[in-house]
Amino acid sequence: MKKFLTGALFAAMAAGAAQAEDVTLQLKWVTQAQFAGYYVAKDKGFYEEEGLNVTIKPGGPDLAPPQVIAGGGADVIVEWMPAALAAREKGVPLVNIAQPFASSGMMLTCLKETGIQSPADFADKTLGVWFFGNEYPFLSWMSQLGLATDGSPGGVTVLKQGFNVDPLLQKQAACVSTMTYNEYWQVIDAGISPDDLVTFKYEDQGVATLEDGLYVLEDRLADPAFQETMVKFVRASMKGWKYAEANPDEAAMIVLENDETGAQTENHQKRMMGEIAKLTAGSNGALDVAAAERTVASLLSGGSDPVISKAPEGAWTSAITDKALQ
Amino acid sequence: MREKVLPVLSVLGIIVVIWYAAAVWMNSTWVYDQAERAGTTVSFAEMVPQTMAQDRPLLPPPHQVVKELWKGVAGQAVTSKRSLVYHGFVTFRGTMMGFALGIVMGVALAVSIVRFRVMDMSVMPWAIISQTIPIVALAPMILTVSNQLGIDNREVPKAIISAYLSFFPVLVSMVKGLRSPDAMQLDLLRTYNASESETFWKLRLPASMPYFFASLKVAVAAALIGTIVGELPTGAIEGLGARMLIGSQFGEPLIMWAALFASAILAGMLIVLVGTVEQVARRRMGGPA
Amino acid sequence: MIWLGGAILFWLAAWAVNASVAGSAAGRSRAGRVFVPLLFGITVLVLWEGVVRGFGVQPVILPAPSAIWARIVASPEVLWADFVQTVVKGALTGFVMGVGAAFAMAIAIDRVPFLQRGLLPIGNFVAALPIVGLAPILVMWFGFDWQSKAAVVLVMVFFPVLVNLVAGLQASERMQRDLMATWGAGYWQALVKLRLPAAMPFFFNGLKIATTLALIGAIVAEFFGSPIVGMGFRISTEVGRLGLDMVWAEIAVAALAGSVFYGAVSVVERWVTFWHPAQRH
Repeated sequence: MKKFLTGALFAAMAAGAAQAEDVTLQLKWVTQAQFAGYYVAKDKGFYEEEGLNVTIKPGGPDLAPPQVIAGGGADVIVEWMPAALAAREKGVPLVNIAQPFASSGMMLTCLKETGIQSPADFADKTLGVWFFGNEYPFLSWMSQLGLATDGSPGGVTVLKQGFNVDPLLQKQAACVSTMTYNEYWQVIDAGISPDDLVTFKYEDQGVATLEDGLYVLEDRLADPAFQETMVKFVRASMKGWKYAEANPDEAAMIVLENDETGAQTENHQKRMMGEIAKLTAGSNGALDVAAAERTVASLLSGGSDPVISKAPEGAWTSAITDKALQ
Repeated sequence: MREKVLPVLSVLGIIVVIWYAAAVWMNSTWVYDQAERAGTTVSFAEMVPQTMAQDRPLLPPPHQVVKELWKGVAGQAVTSKRSLVYHGFVTFRGTMMGFALGIVMGVALAVSIVRFRVMDMSVMPWAIISQTIPIVALAPMILTVSNQLGIDNREVPKAIISAYLSFFPVLVSMVKGLRSPDAMQLDLLRTYNASESETFWKLRLPASMPYFFASLKVAVAAALIGTIVGELPTGAIEGLGARMLIGSQFGEPLIMWAALFASAILAGMLIVLVGTVEQVARRRMGGPA
Repeated sequence: MIWLGGAILFWLAAWAVNASVAGSAAGRSRAGRVFVPLLFGITVLVLWEGVVRGFGVQPVILPAPSAIWARIVASPEVLWADFVQTVVKGALTGFVMGVGAAFAMAIAIDRVPFLQRGLLPIGNFVAALPIVGLAPILVMWFGFDWQSKAAVVLVMVFFPVLVNLVAGLQASERMQRDLMATWGAGYWQALVKLRLPAAMPFFFNGLKIATTLALIGAIVAEFFGSPIVGMGFRISTEVGRLGLDMVWAEIAVAALAGSVFYGAVSVVERWVTFWHPAQRH
């Protein structure tokens, strides 16, 4: 809060002079090509051109971006819409200001040998799902299929998979959650041929929810100075994304340079960038309201245990992107 | 020397043999599965070499781990982010901060517990209970709360977690140590008309030193565990714990095993370091070397 | 501010009460020994509540104790199911197997001093290692259900218990062992009647360390894959859902379970090693 106040103060005093404004971005997960646009914008100086001094904080398995922003640890976060809407209901008033990801990369990947051919075959099988706010799309899909997830007969057995696809490789689960840009390729890398796999993309099943979007706190958005900063931020970020789409290999290398664990490999990141580019393609940053409403409808239809209890109001705004994309 | 080294080496040898056998056994499933998918069969003799060089082994054989470890330690400049030395240093730094914080907390609490009966009665039971709380559950909380307080440095939450685990052994030993002077010694000081603080500085504190040093070895191991746990889930980006996580996420068991062994080596070095400090201190205080 | 001021006042008053009780004869009584720490615990809670309300801390950052209590009361079934999954199936099973394995191993190598000399330094070293790091690997090996959690716990408790027991088996004095020999006691008789009882204080030291490790191991392992029940699962999922009251409810259960576990081991210790100077008050 203090950081923000001083930032706003500076902006007012300098009245547009070249005074760098600090912005802290909290990512949803560890540094990887999924967030290439932001790293490219930083490394290529797009943020600097806008007069922004952006700090990018990587996430981790126990870090909920909404909690970080509520605690004042970030100005803007990358989050999935279901988790953001759920957080909104919990009293963290998140607002979507931009949506770089046009489509969803989430899918269920199953071993053919388990006999699964269509979603109807899920009954009585074990499915791997990520939790930590990423389970919402899955739960609403299952309730639309009419499959219980509490382990009762006729339903599905849900297992919380860790951060990889081991449950599938070790045959502990019939299907695991994968992203088109990451885990799916780990299955392939592990030596299982695509012919031995059946995949169900959330996008194809009509249960896709919006993934990586940019969210800020509603009350801060009321401040014109902050709005101005966010306009610049979104503009530069989208420039970064489009650059990354056009130059995937260079973007992957930029991500790699920013990976402080040093454990990521060029191979993985280049491939991930290629797949990410497919998801960001077609988005200029502006949120597709129809897609957002589809997300809400899908979350509301969660049967006895819906993810959100009522349709949110004011959970997204086009104010920022309208100005940024002029 | 031979008396000591030979048994250790033989036990290590036994472990390595068992390890190799287990690696063959556990990794063979995959070889057979692959052969079945390809529609071929493999004999035992063909299978064994294939278990030794998998990219994603269930249990990597020792030489694969050593190779990966060597690649991470010697194959890179130590300042590189790919260097295990660099990440080891990050973890070492975190451990030392937590260790120092833990020692200060432990000693301060012990002193006040021995000095004030009310501290002893009210705080001591909770100090024990605090150790039964699984720290991992608290880790994300510590991160957000310190964020809320405006602490942006990601070393701080890590150090707090590590101190949380390492203060306890110091506390317990110091309480024991500060109380170790017996009635006769205390009476003697009383006949000298020594004040409470003189008794503390001249008798209690020196008497507690052997207990203090004995606790350090336990505390430093606890500090290391705390640091690694802190690096695992709280969004810490560097360090051995973070590498274990990345290795797990990207299904690269070799990265995970190398980080695990690097942390074992780090643990060994820390124990030796603390042991040396202990010996030097003991010699300077006139104890048997 | 009323909340904060009130909480601080309460703190000061309670501290004064505690100080006077501790200083008086009542402090030496059994009731006093329970009352003082209890009042201290209550003060901490009151102060916590006061800070949360006084500063208006958001519940998604740090919930107030009253909110946590409300959550505990509202969801006993969930907490119980998680407790059974993590503590009973994961931690206790692993603990029993780990202690049993360590016991068997210590006895097995007892007759081979060569092995003991080799194993003790290695065991000491391994006991100091961050074995928690093995959790993702063991989850990969043993599947996502409680078996893998028990395996993590088994490995974590094995070495501290083994090292302590091996050291304990050498704790009986030469003279005592000679005496057994003069009575014509065989190896097993000497073991059961003299050396094992003498090893018990060491053994229980190891057990106490193992109790806290057991819970940590079972919870961490759930972070790397689990069924949709269990304390570690609930904690990581609820943090993601910003259900911080549930997270703290689980922490409270964990602390309670850990304390009871530790207390139970202490009681058994007192009963088994009644002869040891540390137990004779």
